[in-house]
Amino acid sequence: MSSSPTETIVDIVLPAMGTSISEGTVIEWHKQVGDPVAIDEVICEISTDKVDTDCPSPVAGVVTEILVAVGQTVDVGTIIARVATGDGPTLSAPPDAPAPAIEEPAATNGHTSGASNGRSQRYSPVVQRMSEVHGVDLADVPGTGRGGRVTKRDVLAYLKQAPTESALHSDSPYIADEPAVAASTPPAAAPDDRGGHLQPLSRMRQAIGAAMRNSLQTAATCHTVVECDFTRVEKRRRDLGVTALPLVARAVIDVLRSDFPALNATLDGTTLTRYDRVHLGIAVSLGDEGLIVPVIHDAQDLSPDGLSARIKDLATRARAKQLAPDEVQGATFTITNPGRSGAVIATPIINVPQVAILDLEAVVRRPVVVTDGDGNEMIAIRSMVNLVLGWDHRAIDGVYAAEFLTAVRRQLESVS
Amino acid sequence: MAERTYLQAISDGLRQEMRRDERVFVMGEDIGAFGGAFKVTDGLLAEFGAARVRDVPIAEAGIIGTAVGTAIAGLRPICEMQFADFISCGFDQLVNVAGKMHYRLGLAVPMVVRLPSGGGFSGGPFHSQNPEAWFMHAPGLKVVAPSTPEDAKGLLAAAVRDPNPVVFLEHKHLYRRVKGAVPEGDHTTEMRARVARVGSDLTVVAYGAMVHAALDAAEQVDASIEVVDLRSLVPLDEEAILASVRKTSKVLVVDEANRTCAAGAQVAALIADRAFEDLDGPVRRVAAPDVPIPFSPPLEQAILPSSQSIREAMDELLAY
Amino acid sequence: MSAAVVHAVPEVTQLTDADRIELLRFMLLMRGIEERGLTLYKQGKVPGSFYDGRGQEAISVGATFALDRGDAVSSPLIRDLGAHLVRGTDIADIFRHYMGRENPLSHGREGNVHFGDHRLGVVGMVSMLPDMMVVANGLALAFALQGEARCALSFFGDGATSRGDWHEAMNWAAVDRLPVVYVLENNHFAYSTPTERQFAVSPIARAQAYGIASETVDGNDVEAVFGAVSRARLRALAGDGPTLIEAETMRMHGHGAHDDARYVAPELLREWEARDPIARQATALAGLVDADALRRDVDAQVEEAVVAAMTAPMADPSGAVTGVFHVGEPEPIGTGAAPWSGFRQGG
Repeated sequence: MSSSPTETIVDIVLPAMGTSISEGTVIEWHKQVGDPVAIDEVICEISTDKVDTDCPSPVAGVVTEILVAVGQTVDVGTIIARVATGDGPTLSAPPDAPAPAIEEPAATNGHTSGASNGRSQRYSPVVQRMSEVHGVDLADVPGTGRGGRVTKRDVLAYLKQAPTESALHSDSPYIADEPAVAASTPPAAAPDDRGGHLQPLSRMRQAIGAAMRNSLQTAATCHTVVECDFTRVEKRRRDLGVTALPLVARAVIDVLRSDFPALNATLDGTTLTRYDRVHLGIAVSLGDEGLIVPVIHDAQDLSPDGLSARIKDLATRARAKQLAPDEVQGATFTITNPGRSGAVIATPIINVPQVAILDLEAVVRRPVVVTDGDGNEMIAIRSMVNLVLGWDHRAIDGVYAAEFLTAVRRQLESVS
Repeated sequence: MAERTYLQAISDGLRQEMRRDERVFVMGEDIGAFGGAFKVTDGLLAEFGAARVRDVPIAEAGIIGTAVGTAIAGLRPICEMQFADFISCGFDQLVNVAGKMHYRLGLAVPMVVRLPSGGGFSGGPFHSQNPEAWFMHAPGLKVVAPSTPEDAKGLLAAAVRDPNPVVFLEHKHLYRRVKGAVPEGDHTTEMRARVARVGSDLTVVAYGAMVHAALDAAEQVDASIEVVDLRSLVPLDEEAILASVRKTSKVLVVDEANRTCAAGAQVAALIADRAFEDLDGPVRRVAAPDVPIPFSPPLEQAILPSSQSIREAMDELLAY
Repeated sequence: MSAAVVHAVPEVTQLTDADRIELLRFMLLMRGIEERGLTLYKQGKVPGSFYDGRGQEAISVGATFALDRGDAVSSPLIRDLGAHLVRGTDIADIFRHYMGRENPLSHGREGNVHFGDHRLGVVGMVSMLPDMMVVANGLALAFALQGEARCALSFFGDGATSRGDWHEAMNWAAVDRLPVVYVLENNHFAYSTPTERQFAVSPIARAQAYGIASETVDGNDVEAVFGAVSRARLRALAGDGPTLIEAETMRMHGHGAHDDARYVAPELLREWEARDPIARQATALAGLVDADALRRDVDAQVEEAVVAAMTAPMADPSGAVTGVFHVGEPEPIGTGAAPWSGFRQGG
């Protein structure tokens, strides 16, 4: 169908003569293809159940198509002919957009109930929801409702006397507690007869403690230390506008993947799982409340800038208690950086089932022996830092650990 | 505060509104010189005169349509059907003219239609109905149904001041049987539900005379029963209903009207739709069966819900 | 209860030449809009049904021309487009409303002649007839209670007089002596039902039985209709109550565009064609105005309105679920145009 800039093709449709009319029959054409037609001039006559009438053309022009034969019955709205206008846009209405479906101003529905627990006994919606939220096995709840069914009251009663346990993330010894609990300050205890003030440990503190003990009881934890000249790193990090941690992380990732895959691993009983990708846990302090270790998944894909941004984001959200569960799981190696506190050596505890944790201690200025290009030795003032590796002797031994640290050190000392 | 019967509170409300706004006037059959079939309008003629307290011919369509005309001309008519049952004679004017006017033409119709409703006194099929569901179903009409004297006065005032047509259901059974403290002076009630009785084991949703039956039943069971008095059917206070169901997880919906498509059917559908996960039992209803209200006392008592039938339904649901 | 009497008829009010030409122009405008509208309907631009008042233009134009600004019309019915025009309704808005496009009168929620610009004192009709007659009673009652010199005008056809609301309205208007004017357009057919099948006693003959003044007038004589309504209006404002005016005419088209009125005897149509109200007024004003030129002006005005109307989008579907209730202080109906010169001169 051609249409020049000055010519428009207009459809002639079968009109609806009345609300209940759905079809009509053409009984006579007053125009043939090629005939000129004036605006409002009759093009054809139609017959419907209710009335016979004529169809006046909405535009002036030339009839280009006759699409329905005399005697043919078609639905209302069917295009029965076409007229080409020679004088540009005519009195045609803008095309009607299809009416979008009306959305009733309904309120949002609640989410559907979780999957049933597969038992033959039926549980009401509220009972099912409570069992999911509180982690209750409904088989353990005695039912006092009709026919022995478990009622909402039964679940509430059961919860009152059951001991509450916090869920532990096995990957991380530092677990964020639920906001309401972690944020609550315990009531001030009255002093005892020696001036001691008794105060129960917070749930987070207890959780951390349990995790620490678990790690120490599981892994054969050893520590190795390497001193590292951090002068170049310090310079580089200032140039980039980041802290040293992302530079150290980048070096660790490179070294793990190139030569020391046994440290980018998890140990479950006697099975060591090595990973092609590095999911790096970064310990974040939550102040007095404790620590948490958010995870940068696929850290190998990030530059120091990228690592810096991710670390900042995770730390911010960790402190705001906005981390998702999968952001504190699945690490293959952990770095902790308590160095700002001033200590130069520590004995970090491994996040089992990982097999190692690197501790970046405080950067201090020291006099060290340096050798110039001619082999002459002299004393220079350098920024020095201790890289401390906590490692699991079940998976590797000391030589491997030392060599790893040395490789990391070399990488950091040759940063440019 | 003054101690008033439900009927006196309505009279007080009429008087309050007519004193407050000279555009307000009342019309109905036998309401002027006679003071109304139930004496609700007694004394108004003497205080406000025949122009504002108008006795009219027996012409329910005329009453409603004339009220529409006066409302769009700037007055505030309160018209009365002598019995709620006779609203059917004015149905067309109420639903098609009053209800649809604003939507179609942007013209507001500020009017009130008072309907003395309900049974329990051998009124028979044409003097005992609760027709509110018909008007909940008509877009453009608000529908209110107070159960206490305080709310009768307050909701009447709110209805008069609302710029839309409001159907006001005053339950005849409560006229002289229910007394309560009513604030004196200017008093309005929001068109929202109220919690008539706080509880935690089971919710009863009711309105009008059934609120009192529900409260009686609640006294008799050994459980903590919450009673929600809807007060307003359009707009329906969905949040209040859902909040109570979330709290108790068991709900009984009571209608004095006959069961099919009564107001309670809408409440039950709402709960099933929006509070499914909070339910610890099926949504149960108590209502009259789908029969015209019979005349002879043993028949009428057999079909109208009572505190006893509500109590039985409560017991069954509590035990579920 | 006083017995009903036909009171002494006040003096017939005067029409100037300009008034008489205005009457012709309004009738031409009504016919022009309806002819154009029918064409648009056949071109699929107007959804639903299409009704017109061909041959009856003199009634709605003549009657409404007799109203002052504060008087109200409840309602113009499907053959009373002239009432909307005399009151000053925007013609482009009328076309937008017909076409279901966005417009301030109905926002697409109503169609065909179911509209009324309440800002101009015109209340739109409902389909149940004659419900709006009762509403006219209410308007009249309010005017009387507020001591205002205003009346209400109600149109209805022969068929509407059979329904209960007609009788309730007639009776009550008489009891309260309401300042209301009823115009019965007897066009001989209610859809396909002739008046012989509609009533046993002609409605105009019942007026006395209800206690209402009445007058019969040639519905195709626009000046006669004007005169009758003027008199009725004065009666109403004098406190003498309602008047029923029967305006006899003929429905020249079918009930709607979907009805070819094959049940109407062709002789009847021929007879009334010769009494066409527009041709008659044009003839009466032959020396005063060139009717053809006036028609051309009107057609140009109509065309301009159609073009303007076509620029409006279809009504917004989101408006389908809003506007059920009013919020805030409600506005009563307003006042409309009153083109008769007598109102300006204080006549």
